[in-house]
Amino acid sequence: MIWSIAWKNVWRNKKRSLVVIVAVTLGIISGVLLVGIMEGWVKQRLNDAIYNEISHIQIHNSEYIKNEEIDLTVKNPNEITRSIDTLKELSGWVKRTKIIAMANTPWANTGVIIYGVDPEKEKKVTELYKKIVKAGGKYLDVHSPGDLLISDKTAEILKLKQYIVTDSIIEELRQGKVPETVLAKLETLKDKRFRSPGDFREALRMKFSRKELDRFGVRITGKALDYRIRNKVMITLSDKEGNPIQGIFRVCGIYKTTNTGFDQVSVFVNAQELADLYGGNDILTHEIAILLKNIDDAGIVKEELSRIAGDNSVGTWKELAPDAAMMNDFMVLYYIIFVGIIMLALAFGIINTMMMAILERTKELGMLMALGMNRRRIFLMIMLETIFLTAVGAAAGMFSGWVLTEVLGRTGIHFTGWGEGFEAIGFAAKVYPVVTPEFLIFTTIMVIVTAIISSIWPARKALKLNPVETLRTE
Amino acid sequence: MKVLELRNVNKIYNSSEVKVHAVNDVTLNFAEAEFAAIVGPSGSGKTTLLNLIGGLDMPTSGEIIISGTNLSGLKSSKLIDFRLRNIGFVFQSYNLIPVLTAKENVEFIMTLQKWPKKERDERTIELLRAVGLGDRIHSRPSKLSGGQQQRVAVARALASKPKFILADEPTANLDSKSATTLLEIMETLNHEEKITFIFSTHDARVVKMAHRIITLEDGKVISDDRRE
Repeated sequence: MIWSIAWKNVWRNKKRSLVVIVAVTLGIISGVLLVGIMEGWVKQRLNDAIYNEISHIQIHNSEYIKNEEIDLTVKNPNEITRSIDTLKELSGWVKRTKIIAMANTPWANTGVIIYGVDPEKEKKVTELYKKIVKAGGKYLDVHSPGDLLISDKTAEILKLKQYIVTDSIIEELRQGKVPETVLAKLETLKDKRFRSPGDFREALRMKFSRKELDRFGVRITGKALDYRIRNKVMITLSDKEGNPIQGIFRVCGIYKTTNTGFDQVSVFVNAQELADLYGGNDILTHEIAILLKNIDDAGIVKEELSRIAGDNSVGTWKELAPDAAMMNDFMVLYYIIFVGIIMLALAFGIINTMMMAILERTKELGMLMALGMNRRRIFLMIMLETIFLTAVGAAAGMFSGWVLTEVLGRTGIHFTGWGEGFEAIGFAAKVYPVVTPEFLIFTTIMVIVTAIISSIWPARKALKLNPVETLRTE
Repeated sequence: MKVLELRNVNKIYNSSEVKVHAVNDVTLNFAEAEFAAIVGPSGSGKTTLLNLIGGLDMPTSGEIIISGTNLSGLKSSKLIDFRLRNIGFVFQSYNLIPVLTAKENVEFIMTLQKWPKKERDERTIELLRAVGLGDRIHSRPSKLSGGQQQRVAVARALASKPKFILADEPTANLDSKSATTLLEIMETLNHEEKITFIFSTHDARVVKMAHRIITLEDGKVISDDRRE
């Protein structure tokens, strides 16, 4: 009956209870969404780091880590890859040549790391082949000589990401119902080639109003974008003797990941063509990247490979991308901090509401004590009321938060305006929130604990009431 | 058989400004099935005496013995339990639990005492019928009149078959018709259930129906009259 009385007491003052319930609901929704966004970002960063950049395990010459010189190759790479092939945890592996170089076009130059890879084997280890941008050519092909795969960022730096407005583009925009007034202004930019996004944006700003740019700017920029596929790029690097050597490649494709830092420096060519350039009979192996079926096997596989690696060093993704590893490991701390702060705020609201309820029911509580309800039952009743009040809001909040996160997890949240900043540190501009069952369980426990702690002060206040005095009150 | 004994009971309130001798050397005995009224002017100590008898307050000196148990010898938790099992209360302002129905209010005491459900239900229906509310068992207090609420309070007080019932001004908030009906019901139950009723009252109707009238003045018993 105490449970029944406590539940019914929650609804005595419906408005007041609903205010608290809505506050708890909104608090939980924001907590779930906030953590969901963090979790989504961390998972995305980790996923992108592993599937675009570092894989699960990499093997290098021990000296190469400190000093990335061309002659510091992996020792006995074939023996190592034969052992890798026997691993039951294996998904794929690839050998890479990795040399610091300079990339030049007629308009700009930039420092890069040039990777010589086997394109087909590379597809089994990274997903770069899926990251080719629209109208950005194609991935490396072993049958297509002289191909160079560069990033959107590198293309921008080398002035290979250009913009031009043509008649056909204007016609496409007309069919896309862009107003004639806008198209008339665009005509004045026709056939002019802009060699950087900044130059094109500036030209548009000079021609169009803010409102026109907000409405049509993205569409115009998208249509006018012209990657200079098949443009020549001169690669300059040093051979084993330190002599500078140059080779001409042609851009075959433009890729884009969520990590601008990685994109900016990484260009890819066919391993054999790179070997031909530096004059080696063999393809130099500076790195062996290994992808496993399950990320959790990285530690075990590292131990196994370390036994046969000899003078080479074997590193897991945690050592190769410590930022992503740290974020992953610290998620539990984030849970505690975010949810803890929300619970603290909620606790004050709950305590205030319950204290008001006790004050209003002073006479009733005195009567219950007079009739023979002992202190334990009074305490239990107050505590249950507090728990019920909190639990209703928490259940509504967690369900709504979960639904919202699931929906946003499919559609994604696009942080327009901050995209470049996020990508500079390896995070996607579009995040897909995700909530784990562990987090929902953790939050449920925190809610119950908060309710119990919040009930102590009001319950103690109730227990201190003197039935004789309270029964006299009006 | 003595249900209640008060032996030289005193209650003195010592505030910083004044010392109040609310109950002054009261010695009384109550037998089974008595229908007694404690009367006196305001401030005579009626409510204080009832609070002492009910174990809600402790005497400064003297003894209160209920069916052989000395209240002052009981620890706080045992006193609460003793009160639950042996004493029924009817308050001036009904004091029903507003979120419970009439049935739930009556069976509340029996639930605290862990009566089996079947017996609890039977006793509840029997009492509510006895007080004339057999057709309102599922009504909440807000749907009942003052008189009906007080009848539910009487049924609740009787629920666990206590040794006696203390009623502090039970008719004060009722109209005359409701008050008369309530008193008749209480008199009938007193007769049928053989439970002692002790009233604190100003109501002449209660005094008229009481079999024993104890008059208090300045905390002392100045008369104790029994009617045949």
